[in-house]
Amino acid sequence: MNAILTLVLAGVAIGLGYGVYAKSIDRKIIQPDNSRTTPARMYMDGVDFTPANRNVLFGYQFKSIAALGPIVGPIVAVRYGWLPALLWILLGTFFIGWVQDYSSIIVGVREEGQTFGALSYRLISPRARGILLVFIYCYLWLIMGAFGKIVGYDLMSKPSVPLGVILVILLGLLAGQMTYKWKQDIILTTVVTVVGAFIGIWLGTLQGVQNLFSGINTALGDPGYKIFWSVVTLVICYFGAVLPIWRWAQPINYVAFWIVFLGILGGVIGLIVWHPSYPAEFPAFTNWDGDICAATTCPEGVTLGALGPLWPILFVTIACGAISGWHSLVSSSGTARQLEREGDALFVGGGAMFLEMFLAVLSLLAAVVGAGSLAQYAEWGGKAGVFSNGLAVFLSHIGVPESFGRPYGAVFLTLMALTIMYLVVRFMRVASAEFLGDRIPVIRNIHVGSLIALILSGILIWTGFWTRIWVLFGGSNQLMASLALLIITLWLASKGKNYWWSFIPFIFMFLTTIAALARTGYKSFEAVDFADVSGAIGNIIAGVLAVVLIICAFILAVDGIRAIIRVTRKEEAGAPAGK
Amino acid sequence: MAERASKGKLRSLLDSVKSVLYGMAGHDMARFALKTRGSMEHLFILITMGDLLGIPILPPYYSLRLLPYVVPQISTWKRRMLRERDLTDALA
Repeated sequence: MNAILTLVLAGVAIGLGYGVYAKSIDRKIIQPDNSRTTPARMYMDGVDFTPANRNVLFGYQFKSIAALGPIVGPIVAVRYGWLPALLWILLGTFFIGWVQDYSSIIVGVREEGQTFGALSYRLISPRARGILLVFIYCYLWLIMGAFGKIVGYDLMSKPSVPLGVILVILLGLLAGQMTYKWKQDIILTTVVTVVGAFIGIWLGTLQGVQNLFSGINTALGDPGYKIFWSVVTLVICYFGAVLPIWRWAQPINYVAFWIVFLGILGGVIGLIVWHPSYPAEFPAFTNWDGDICAATTCPEGVTLGALGPLWPILFVTIACGAISGWHSLVSSSGTARQLEREGDALFVGGGAMFLEMFLAVLSLLAAVVGAGSLAQYAEWGGKAGVFSNGLAVFLSHIGVPESFGRPYGAVFLTLMALTIMYLVVRFMRVASAEFLGDRIPVIRNIHVGSLIALILSGILIWTGFWTRIWVLFGGSNQLMASLALLIITLWLASKGKNYWWSFIPFIFMFLTTIAALARTGYKSFEAVDFADVSGAIGNIIAGVLAVVLIICAFILAVDGIRAIIRVTRKEEAGAPAGK
Repeated sequence: MAERASKGKLRSLLDSVKSVLYGMAGHDMARFALKTRGSMEHLFILITMGDLLGIPILPPYYSLRLLPYVVPQISTWKRRMLRERDLTDALA
């Protein structure tokens, strides 16, 4: 099969999913009314509630939901073969992904811009909000562990990458200075900093520079150099968390956006120009355990290990790109408060989700046709390295040399991860101040709060087994999605609308992710070996996190289902449902 | 006529692409600038008009002198100050 055919297939899924299924739900069940005042117009304060054009909001929504998840998930999941991964991306988005994103916006809009925390308090139970916040904290911690390990251990430790990343950060700071202090034109700022960033990435490929970073890595030894680069990553996150947003996070994100955007654009064009067929050496299906080294001869020293049974692990390995709980938080807290007309919700929420599906398919192709064989995939490390190398192959077909494309792909991924990570640390800091600030006032200090978040992240990065952290991260993400679907179902039931189109996805996602978390928790506890202290700590943390997430999810689900029964009974009895 | 229509369509398409790109690259920055300004203004109203929320901060004489300048924002300010918030608000 030709790779272009996959893109066509994705296009057909978008046409049917968005054009037929989503539009029919939108028209028949939600029935948006453009004359109804949205919270953005009703409460316009120029701060939280501000109406925005639907195209602008579409771009905002897409950028907010698409991070490292839709890229790394498919790359890891192709260990089952490309067919299961592709099917889950297409079907997951078709039946579940857009449902959650779109409905979260609609619920937010119809409920006066309330966040999911407030909605869970009102619709599920008073304790639901507290549990949801514990849940979110664990989820954020796992994001730091999963992303931090990729950046510190896989990407920054490559000698051609650190200089590019450091220069992009410095140019981001320059962009902030030019925009906010020197009041320079944004086009001039963009040209100077983005061109500078590309030069910086190119400088990183020079042999002298690579020798310098190789020397550092050799001097520190393995795993010393990986720990060193993960510490550097955490230091970057520290600055991102404590400095004003305009000074650090925002301008760096701005420069990083162009690097990422141009990379994706170049990758798509390169793939279309190349239009390769699926390689015979990369089978559609490997085995039920995702054990790539059982399906091919892995290079010496490469230990990828089995992922676990296809159900449930595949469905949590690919989270973003099929369905992700993060989207519900962004949709309800951010987008719903900016929606100008109800009729824009499908285009913004559903459209951005289908576009993210397209990104996930592109990532899958980077792994399959980019690598060309299972053996090559294994040699590239089976994670982030596969994408950077695959992207380099795509870019080589539009004349970008692979010697530049590889570090470019790695810097691209590093920036994608970092832009999320320092916001996560910021968020963890706020969360710890909220949880413990009254009892331990020192935690309210931004430096103390950030350091606590970074130390917790560091422990997970240094001791955790990455595949398990990724599955836990995916599991917590999917559980968040299933809880969002529960809130949506409850809201639909309270309004007397058909709720099966969100309730069935909730049941599927809930059972699948609970199974995945339970399995991962069990495997983590089983792997505890006190002869290896570091590994034992990592496994215990992973196991405890899995147990905490499962308990929280069960309490929320029980309360939620009770609330659904309560609401539907009220409705059958003829009492007004809703509040 | 048809040429003008197709030019109009092309222009509208380009405008849409421009808006999407702005949404991805710059909308967050613009929102943050607005938020910063809004927060500063609301802080100012709090220290001058705190009485309205039961927080007596400035002698009423000065509040009355400033009142005409603050009136247009009082309703949004009160709503923002008194709105229920939680951790998920930090994401917005």
